[in-house]
Amino acid sequence: MKRLKMTTFSVRFPWMIMAAAIAITLFFGAQFPKVSFDNDPENMLAEDEYIRVFHNQVKDQYNLYDFVIVGIVNDQHEDGVFNVETLGKIDALTRELISLHQNADGKPEVIRNGQPYAPELASESGWERGLAKVFGNDVNRLFAEDGSSAIIAPEIISPSVVDNIKQADHGQLAIEYLMEEAPTTREEALVIKTDAMNNPLYKGTLVSEDGKAIALYIPIIEKTYSYNVANLIENLTADWDDADEVFITGQPVAQDTFGVEMLVQMATSAPLAGLAIFLLLLFFFRRLSLIIAPMLVAIVSVVSTMGLLIGLGYDVHIMSSMIAIFLMPISVADSVHILSEFFDSYHKFRDKAETIKHVVSHLFRPMLYTSLTTIAGFASLATTPIPPVRVFGLHVAFGVGLAWLLTMTFVPAYIMIFVRTKMLDNLQPAADKEQHGLLGRTLGNLGRVSYNHWKLILTLTVITIVVSAIGISTIKVNDNPVKWFTQNHRIRVADRVLNDHFGGTYTAYLTLKPEQIQTLTCAERIDFMRTAAVEKFGETLPEASAAFLAILDDTNAKFQSLEHADIERCFVDLVETARGLDEQISGVWNDLGDEINYLDPDGLTYDKMMTSISAIGNEETRDLFVERMTDFQTLEGADLQNQALDIIDEYAALSFADFLFEAQAEANAPAFKRPEMLAYVDRLQAFLAEVPTIGKSSSALDALKKANFELNYDSEESANRNDAFYSIPPTPSAVAQVFTQLEGMKKKDSLFHMITKDYNEVNIWIQLKSGDNTDMVEVVEDIENWMAENPAPVELNVGWAGLTYLNVVWQDKMVAGMMNALLSSFVVVLIMMMVLFRSFLFGLLAMIPLTVTITFIYGLIGWVGKDYDMPVAVLSSLTLGLSVDFAIHFLERSRELTKKFGSWKDAIWHMFQEPAMAISRNAIIISIGFTPLLFAPLVPYKTVGFFLATIMAVSWIATLFILAALITGLQKWLFKHQDTKDSKEEQA
Amino acid sequence: MKTLLTALTAVALTTGAYAEMTADQIAEKANQVAYYAGKDGRAEVEMKIIDKSGSDRTREFTLLRMNTDGGNQKFYVYFKKPADIYKQVFMVWKEVGEGKDDSRWMWLPALNLSKQIAPGDKRTSFVGSDFVYEDVSGRNLKEDTRELIETTDTQYILKNTPVDPGSVEFSYYTVKIDKDTFLPRYAEYYDKNGKLYRTVEATKVDTVQGFPTVTESVVTDLNTGGSTVNTFSNIKYDIGLKENIFTERFLRRPPREVTR
Repeated sequence: MKRLKMTTFSVRFPWMIMAAAIAITLFFGAQFPKVSFDNDPENMLAEDEYIRVFHNQVKDQYNLYDFVIVGIVNDQHEDGVFNVETLGKIDALTRELISLHQNADGKPEVIRNGQPYAPELASESGWERGLAKVFGNDVNRLFAEDGSSAIIAPEIISPSVVDNIKQADHGQLAIEYLMEEAPTTREEALVIKTDAMNNPLYKGTLVSEDGKAIALYIPIIEKTYSYNVANLIENLTADWDDADEVFITGQPVAQDTFGVEMLVQMATSAPLAGLAIFLLLLFFFRRLSLIIAPMLVAIVSVVSTMGLLIGLGYDVHIMSSMIAIFLMPISVADSVHILSEFFDSYHKFRDKAETIKHVVSHLFRPMLYTSLTTIAGFASLATTPIPPVRVFGLHVAFGVGLAWLLTMTFVPAYIMIFVRTKMLDNLQPAADKEQHGLLGRTLGNLGRVSYNHWKLILTLTVITIVVSAIGISTIKVNDNPVKWFTQNHRIRVADRVLNDHFGGTYTAYLTLKPEQIQTLTCAERIDFMRTAAVEKFGETLPEASAAFLAILDDTNAKFQSLEHADIERCFVDLVETARGLDEQISGVWNDLGDEINYLDPDGLTYDKMMTSISAIGNEETRDLFVERMTDFQTLEGADLQNQALDIIDEYAALSFADFLFEAQAEANAPAFKRPEMLAYVDRLQAFLAEVPTIGKSSSALDALKKANFELNYDSEESANRNDAFYSIPPTPSAVAQVFTQLEGMKKKDSLFHMITKDYNEVNIWIQLKSGDNTDMVEVVEDIENWMAENPAPVELNVGWAGLTYLNVVWQDKMVAGMMNALLSSFVVVLIMMMVLFRSFLFGLLAMIPLTVTITFIYGLIGWVGKDYDMPVAVLSSLTLGLSVDFAIHFLERSRELTKKFGSWKDAIWHMFQEPAMAISRNAIIISIGFTPLLFAPLVPYKTVGFFLATIMAVSWIATLFILAALITGLQKWLFKHQDTKDSKEEQA
Repeated sequence: MKTLLTALTAVALTTGAYAEMTADQIAEKANQVAYYAGKDGRAEVEMKIIDKSGSDRTREFTLLRMNTDGGNQKFYVYFKKPADIYKQVFMVWKEVGEGKDDSRWMWLPALNLSKQIAPGDKRTSFVGSDFVYEDVSGRNLKEDTRELIETTDTQYILKNTPVDPGSVEFSYYTVKIDKDTFLPRYAEYYDKNGKLYRTVEATKVDTVQGFPTVTESVVTDLNTGGSTVNTFSNIKYDIGLKENIFTERFLRRPPREVTR
């Protein structure tokens, strides 16, 4: 037989197959040292994906970095963290982190108490050190290639290095760091608390509102440093006493930690699962030499697949780290079928080669098809828009193909070489009987149930499907990389504690920019000025105003005749003319003012002043001035000067030139120097404060209002008057001048994390208390709705960035992609089944168990309330691949046995012997074999472990009961060529 | 004849002295040349702040400086552009005496507000540029110790180490000073980890009224990739400024020396 060629060859030249297998393993194994890991969920999206490009653009535009968040909580001290000791520690830690550098040995070193200190960062546990070594995870990797620190020191957010603007003595304004120096007294510590609480940018972000916690935000050059930075911080704070608890979190840390622990899982869970499978195989087959074969098939497949992945230059990603776990059951399953058969039929032949040929000829078709369907299931993942999933799917498909090939060649070759005939002759039948005794009898009974109560079974099935469908409708599509850790994992604990104290550790950025940058033409600008001029000067200076308007109109006419008027030029011309006008109107007053201004206030009296101006300007003006000064003749020195100048300013202040500058500033003002636009942001933020999942939002506006308040604060004025300045300055120029102060703070450019340098775009930093995608989606929707109902003064372009938002995008793609992949592979498998069985009905039947299984599993997920996340999504392909296998074997053998025994009724008993046995063994091995995964500290692994077991159990039930029941019900149509006894009876 | 001889002797003595000048003497002389030329002075400055992407923001201001007693100085900075900070003023009284702090004021015309700024860090950004206040007004010589690390044919190279390392962000900086003019030409700042992160360079130099004068200077921040270029024009020395224009009264009503 053609199909046996491969196996016949293997039986004849087993050593060649062995050599080939070893060669393949060595070849692929040799690729392992090249391994590189990638645990960045961001890579779930392609490099050039719009949202990723935009995210990076926003990061670049606003100089944003990924943060390691370090929370320090003190519940014990009456002042919370604001006590001398804790603040001292925080200050010291900040300085140590700033001072991080490479010492002469290339090791990380910080300056502690003025002395170099190189912390021992490697774990004390030899096992962890070993793992770190194997996976090339060097804890001392804290520097970029040029040796610069992974921590971006100038951008650290810590009380010691964030700006604060506050009132100092004598009405002066202090611009300094929130904690210039560590406090030495309780009073000083409490001043820092008050200052922090009074700054809207820090309250809820840097300091918790309850005063019990402070969060440091440590920016890093790349996310991949976050695990090591977290490790460094843990090390540097190891000697802190219990009162000050340190919690480290943030999405980069979570992701990076996940990556590191994922490797640990790869190194522990997968081998443990392998071991469990091995023990189960041993239990079923009793012969060590026999079961080594499937184990070897699994190992060779996994090693080769991983080797291929690494060799092709792909990074080992969260997804691909699970290749071993997915591949192991599949590859074992194939060889277990062979072994099971071999085991059961050896006694008939009493010859290894013959038995093998018999078994393979028997199983060739179902095994080919089970492999092809599994390959189809996984290969369909290549249609998803998520690169790591594509890589995963195709590699698993490769692994499955290889496992099939090995099962056809390597397993027979192995049996020929390593399984001693004597052992088979002596022990097998006995073991066989014993085994069959227990499991076999049970299965036989089950077969009768399936046959006799097929209607009941089908009814139950329909009920199950309906109930499951309801469950599916309630499925919540959601993911949150932090929830990939188990409840008590330190990351989860830190996440809970810090989100309890602060506005939220999950970051999203909402960027706003005008749809069109407003640029006025010369004519528009003049028109704008004309209106403003009438308003300002129309009544007070009617004559001059008319002259000014004439100038404006004149300029307008002049520039309108020009095609492309240079706007600057038009302005300069106007200013010159306006200056001339000013000189005419207020020139005399200004001369007076200047003269008085330059007088030496020392010993200045009214008389002296009047003498000095006696020759300035004209008499009319001087007389008016003298008249206005009547009440102030007793004043002296600077007071006199100021009073005189105040009066003069009343007349001189109406300057057309100044007006032009103001008008120019107003007409030219970028979007976010315009008070009305800022007011819109203010309203938006007020709305954000009401959205439940948003802990806090921060924008340049918060800084602006705070600065305006502090600048205008006057201790001699009423609180009401001062508080009124906690607002947006009234004109674009006033806004600009306050912003200018913020540009020149100690920490340069920190303002520009929230607003672009041209003030045309803003970035609102939104802190969420939850990283759940559903929460993020809700926030986006809420904001979209609000903005639709509350349109901005000019049309805005709204953009979202930040890791929390990025997760939403890739997840949406994941869900849609997985759904498509599932549907397309379902169709492909259906077609394959019809071809395989050369029957439409059999093809449909083969799809029943997997349909029931998938429906049940996802229904269960819905009912239990588990989120549909990345691992769950991927499981659908595994389900498809595995549960169709059982159906193929079952149907193939049913057909065969019905033919052999003449009727389904007779065949079914046999079906529930050998074939059901193989299926059951498989189901038990895989479901129990993966229980070690349940003990992993990472949720995706637990999920996979749990669902693998469930998938096996459900597919097993679905195949043995539902399929059997369906065949019973449909036997008339299924076996119409064979006149089965049953149908004869029914006809009779 | 006698006068000539005296002059010659003086030149000889001074030249001799130059040959053996200590680092402190060089720095002292350079400081005088760079920041104290004439009794007073005025310049128009165009400040171009360029970020890493190459986009820039330009500010224009008029700068008045006056030397007062004991090495103290007064500065008046009057902004003209962009239009939205037109007439904004920044004023400094620089005090070099032991334990003395500079006094600083600002005037924000659109807010009709003058405010004194409490003494603080002088190494903060000057109006958002890469220059720090100290670059504009000069760093107090007493705050560093220095050594002459190299003498080339044309330049002295000084290494300056802060007396109080905690007060500044650098661990040391080197300055190259032209031998003939004593004008500092190029400074390099090294951070606490010994990495070069900032340079200040006098890119154009001219002689104005006999004083060697920087007409263009560039600060580059290697960490941010940003730089700031200051271009000086209409430079005049000894214009006879009155000290009383450096008072709060002149914030609101700027002196003619800047408006004209």
